[in-house]
Amino acid sequence: MVSTTLTIQDVIQMIIPFGANRSAKKVDVDAILPYLILPGLLLIAAISRPVTIIVMVVIGMCALYVHSRPLQKNRSSFFFSWTMSSGIYMFMMFELFVTCFYEVTQLENFVFLLLLVCTCYFFYKMKSVADFELATGSSKGKEYSPVLTSDSHYCQICQLEVNERFFHSIWWDCCVLRPNYIYFLVGHIFAFATLFYGTNLGLTTVCQPYIFYGDILMPRDCDDVYYDFVSTICFVTCVYGLGYLLVIAIVLIQQLLVYIPKYSEPQWKKLVNVLNV
Amino acid sequence: MRYAYKKKIIYCVVIVITLIILLHPDMNARQSYEYIEKDDIIHSLHEATNDNFTSTAILDCDYYDIIHDETTLSISLVDGDLVEGHRIKEGGEYAPSYCKPKYSTAIIVPYRDRAEQLRGFLVYMHTYFHRQHIHYRIYVVEQVDSRPFNRAKLMNIGAVAAMKAGYPCLILHDVDLLPLRPANLYACTERPRHMSSSINKFRFVLPYLNLFGGVIAIVSKQFKAINGMSNEFYGMGGEDDDLFSRLQANNLKLCRFQPETSRYHLVSTKAERKTNQRKKVLSFTKERMAADGLSSLKYTEVATVLHPLFTHIMVDL
Repeated sequence: MVSTTLTIQDVIQMIIPFGANRSAKKVDVDAILPYLILPGLLLIAAISRPVTIIVMVVIGMCALYVHSRPLQKNRSSFFFSWTMSSGIYMFMMFELFVTCFYEVTQLENFVFLLLLVCTCYFFYKMKSVADFELATGSSKGKEYSPVLTSDSHYCQICQLEVNERFFHSIWWDCCVLRPNYIYFLVGHIFAFATLFYGTNLGLTTVCQPYIFYGDILMPRDCDDVYYDFVSTICFVTCVYGLGYLLVIAIVLIQQLLVYIPKYSEPQWKKLVNVLNV
Repeated sequence: MRYAYKKKIIYCVVIVITLIILLHPDMNARQSYEYIEKDDIIHSLHEATNDNFTSTAILDCDYYDIIHDETTLSISLVDGDLVEGHRIKEGGEYAPSYCKPKYSTAIIVPYRDRAEQLRGFLVYMHTYFHRQHIHYRIYVVEQVDSRPFNRAKLMNIGAVAAMKAGYPCLILHDVDLLPLRPANLYACTERPRHMSSSINKFRFVLPYLNLFGGVIAIVSKQFKAINGMSNEFYGMGGEDDDLFSRLQANNLKLCRFQPETSRYHLVSTKAERKTNQRKKVLSFTKERMAADGLSSLKYTEVATVLHPLFTHIMVDL
């Protein structure tokens, strides 16, 4: 399997042969590339309906391919940059184009921004706690615990001993450990809410909405979005946002089924012990 | 630690400034606005009927129940047909026979090239008006030449015809907007009224406070006083802002009914999509207002045909 051993750097090396042999530059390119690829893909997707579907399917398949590879091969800042660029572009689309239709009220905009600020805060916290752990924390590397216990393994990317219950997230470029797990979870819940609200606002703006219940609107008829560039690009970004929403939903369900029971296990034990006494 | 605090403060300041910029009222649409309360609607209406109209009914029509009607009409009516025995007179004129209407209204619809949409509009509107106990007539003004569509000038032409026929109240109506709530009474208020303040395409919000397009109700005398609309707006956009400036120059304040009552359905058209971006094509001046409008209205009338459901005025601009 030649293809599976390809790293992002290799791909870039093929595309841009010059300068790629200097490692400092390689990392830079990895980090910058998503900021160019993503708007390019969104612009291509804005051509017509079939192209939108094809581009979204390709993005989804790429994400699946990345996930199917072993973790060590994905050691690149590309993925974190991808997450950041997605967030930044979706936010810019919303504030620069969707609000230009003058169909989003101040209150709706405020709620959206509030959710977004919460999302950013929790992910920022998650990253900073992980960095802190990496520098000084209790679960610091090999010197701290030369013998790995049965439920621990060594994270190649963070060079950190991670409890088996927790994991490394390439999309956030950090380890999710016990101290920052709760930030990871709450961050994802807020990200879900923000994306859901944002895509709903965006789609009801560019499409024909209908009253779902009370004051809640849902998009219904999106036939005429491809007639005008601004609404097309808003629509495509919303579709991309819906894809992200799906991924976050899967992550949350996974957490619900696998990690939350593990995370709360010690607390349960404590409670059971108290009851036993 | 000091450095960390500084960083935090900078982050907070940046976030707050961004929030203030993005949440500025001019950047956002409005969910709520000043409107006439339901109980005050009857007192604020301009009570007048067409001079040429006489009703044989003895009892006056009652409008209280209509204004407090909570029902919503179904959009699927546009695909249907009118009920038998609708008693609409030739030229699209109707008045209830069981009571004496207090209001006469001329509905003026500028139109071109949308036969199927017009059919649906007429069926829907006649069904809708039958619930309102008003005397009304629908004028469809069609531009038959090949120049860009001039909505405002067509409105002027329709208004002249309606005023000649003695209608005291004009409703300037787009053909792609359908009123959803029978409570939205098609009669004039003492102040010009913006009727379509809650359109489904615009997420049922008012894009900006001075929006005065879509469906407008205005007393004929006031329309004459502001010299009608401008004749110079070829192609879509801007003429409603000009109309608003004319009202302002004459110290006429606009009014609205509450958003729930003012709900409209925009029939989507693929070729041209409505944009509600603020455009200024021609700048408004008082001099231009006096020179451009009803007083300078010149056109060739090709034909006026009385169809069963509407009066069809065909013009060459």
